[in-house]
Amino acid sequence: MSPTRIVITGMGAVTGFGFEWQSMWQKMLAGEHCIRPWQPEGVEASAFPLRYAAPVDMRLMPAHLQDHPAWGLSLEKRTRFGWIAATQAIADGGLSPEQLRGAAVLSASGAPAHRLQDMLLSLPDNPAQAPSWAQLMTRQAQVDPDSSLCQSNDRLARVIADGIGSEGPVINISSACAGASQAIGNAFQMIRRGEVDVAIAGGADSVLSLDTMTALYLLGAASSEQRWGTELCRPFDRHRSGLIAGEGGGFVVLETLERALARGATPYAEVLGFGSSLDAYKVTAPDPEGRGAVLAMQAALTDAGLAPRQVDLINAHGTSTPLNDAAETLAIKTLFTEREHYRRLLVTANKSQFGHLIAAAGAPEFMLTALACRDDRVTPTLNLHDADEQCDLDYCAHQAVKRKVDVALSNSFGFGGLNTSLALGKYREPSR
Amino acid sequence: MTRSNSTAVYITAASVLNAAGTECVSRDSQPQTALPLDFDTARLAHCVTAPALPAGVYDRKLSRSLEPQGARLLYCAGRLAETLRRLELPDERIALTAAIPEVDGPSSCWDAVQAIGEQPADLLAQFFAHTPPLHALMMLNSSVMAHAAEALHCKGPMGGFCSQGNAGLDALMEAAAHLSEGRADAAVVVSSSPNITPALYLRDVTHPPVNPGPWIFGEGAAALLLSTGPAKGAQSALRIAGFARGYSAQPERGVAVGRDVIERALSNEKLCLSDVGQVVADGQDPQIAALFTSAGHALEHSKALVGDLGTSALLTEIAATWALDSSPYTLLLEHSRGGHWGAVLLARALLDRETMESYP
Repeated sequence: MSPTRIVITGMGAVTGFGFEWQSMWQKMLAGEHCIRPWQPEGVEASAFPLRYAAPVDMRLMPAHLQDHPAWGLSLEKRTRFGWIAATQAIADGGLSPEQLRGAAVLSASGAPAHRLQDMLLSLPDNPAQAPSWAQLMTRQAQVDPDSSLCQSNDRLARVIADGIGSEGPVINISSACAGASQAIGNAFQMIRRGEVDVAIAGGADSVLSLDTMTALYLLGAASSEQRWGTELCRPFDRHRSGLIAGEGGGFVVLETLERALARGATPYAEVLGFGSSLDAYKVTAPDPEGRGAVLAMQAALTDAGLAPRQVDLINAHGTSTPLNDAAETLAIKTLFTEREHYRRLLVTANKSQFGHLIAAAGAPEFMLTALACRDDRVTPTLNLHDADEQCDLDYCAHQAVKRKVDVALSNSFGFGGLNTSLALGKYREPSR
Repeated sequence: MTRSNSTAVYITAASVLNAAGTECVSRDSQPQTALPLDFDTARLAHCVTAPALPAGVYDRKLSRSLEPQGARLLYCAGRLAETLRRLELPDERIALTAAIPEVDGPSSCWDAVQAIGEQPADLLAQFFAHTPPLHALMMLNSSVMAHAAEALHCKGPMGGFCSQGNAGLDALMEAAAHLSEGRADAAVVVSSSPNITPALYLRDVTHPPVNPGPWIFGEGAAALLLSTGPAKGAQSALRIAGFARGYSAQPERGVAVGRDVIERALSNEKLCLSDVGQVVADGQDPQIAALFTSAGHALEHSKALVGDLGTSALLTEIAATWALDSSPYTLLLEHSRGGHWGAVLLARALLDRETMESYP
């Protein structure tokens, strides 16, 4: 029996570029970015060390989305972005409610960060006393109902499922920055093993708040560089200094090819394999040898039945942090070493254009990889003017590249060494 | 179940932590007394003190940067370390999956909150000065997976799940799939219940649960070790024989979805409900009770003993089945507050001497 083929038939994305994938794709091919000056609410910009981010621009929201039910419920911002992205993906895929009754919904959302404004409610009237949960409980009516303190972390998966009336598996993923990729990979595996025949998978996140950005800054993960302005996200560059946070969400519709063709859908690309691994190294840093990344990419290729030499493109995790980019480059050179295939590969880093969407990052990056397979065009890595000597691959610097892409990998590596890699291929019609 | 489950998957070790202690206890034991919460004395819960991590497994400094739910999870994971080590597997062949609470611990640092309260005009400086450098990693509660992986040398496939009471099933299914589909030879499955804080209750103010309770929560954790062969020297083996999951937020559809989930979990063994000797489920849940009105099963569960453990409830029940039960088939059923349904079928078989000696 030939293996079940699984294809992507719908996509939806909310990023700093807008509220649909089409504008994201066009703007990114044109070499644009959506990183701009940012400051946390209630804090003077000059007082906060992180000055840039890639926020979603609400002015770009099209009129038809202004009536989306996400705006009428008490929800976190990230949940709204994710629900809208999922709705867009379902509409893009042309799926009816009847076709979604048994669909699996898999979403990733980052860890909930309780807002400082809410936590200050825990302060007693007597300043000599310590803050306490008990004090917070007495003031619960003052807690912002849209805040994470009033939400379960799996809210996004359930609002999507409720919106489409799905009775299939509803799964929330928690694997840090690898979350959305794990959601898509798990959806692929669930379809392949016959648990469901269609899935809505992706993720959404927003860390653009005083609390979470402070935490990222203190961890040393986010860049506080001032000299590059909006060009400070520079994956693989000698002067890279940390991630630039973005926000948004992305969802895809995955289904069996048989089902897609039966309902007249046109696949964007085919999902070929999924691999994951753990660094088991340090919670604060990736394995500098990139061994976990090698294992994840190798697992994806093995799952897909592919050899490394067949890969044309790697959509890198490419965070612009000193540690990740060097380790990921080394991992690529290790795995694609036969006949120095790494010299023929294209590598791109989407975070230079829309920032790091944290738990959601893997979803729009997966879509852009699928579109590269469809259109044979690869989005550029921006701001790579002076390549790090440890980073010596073809990163598609500055401008989009037109080259045949039959097989590609999309990498996502989470804090703490949680690694995923998804293998995609150009969609080819089944032989008769 | 799935089409590709060619390799059998067994539970080979388990560990638990909850109000009843650190050993599995029979579900008909004397119930523990739920106590009033210090932040809301009208509410009762089964709280536990965060445990010291097992010696020799983790970095000694780790416990300083752990929130309680992470500490519970790592405590249970650490207790599997020795059994896992004896399997002598390459690190790359050991998978790790986790069921992570859908409600996080206190992410804002109390010291910072207090400092800001004392000097509100200097908010940012106080916030920076009193927030620990690794605070982001405490907030990213999947960081417990990194700690567990490092300590137990798990470099194989991974997955973190956060789907309320069904997260344990998600983690179990993912781990079992890694083994049955050949990506790993052993898997550590870990789980922790949410910390009992106001966040656990505040979410119900804006979003009342689909499955309304009553709920007396408990704190706890559970971890399982899965492998492709029974434990060395075991007299019997507990095999994962089937599982299925579904969801409904519509009360009028819940029973139908629950029934479908049960049927799919039993289908791999070609069983019907009357073939199952033991059912572990909360009969106080009216939708679950409706599923068993005619089958004649006496439903049993551990909630009365330890409270609703949420994310770690299913693995706690599986651990108890592994340690204490002897029925040839046990069906475990979960119905989460959010409307998730999950079922696991476990099969116990006595092992003959030849089988016992054939595994390392």
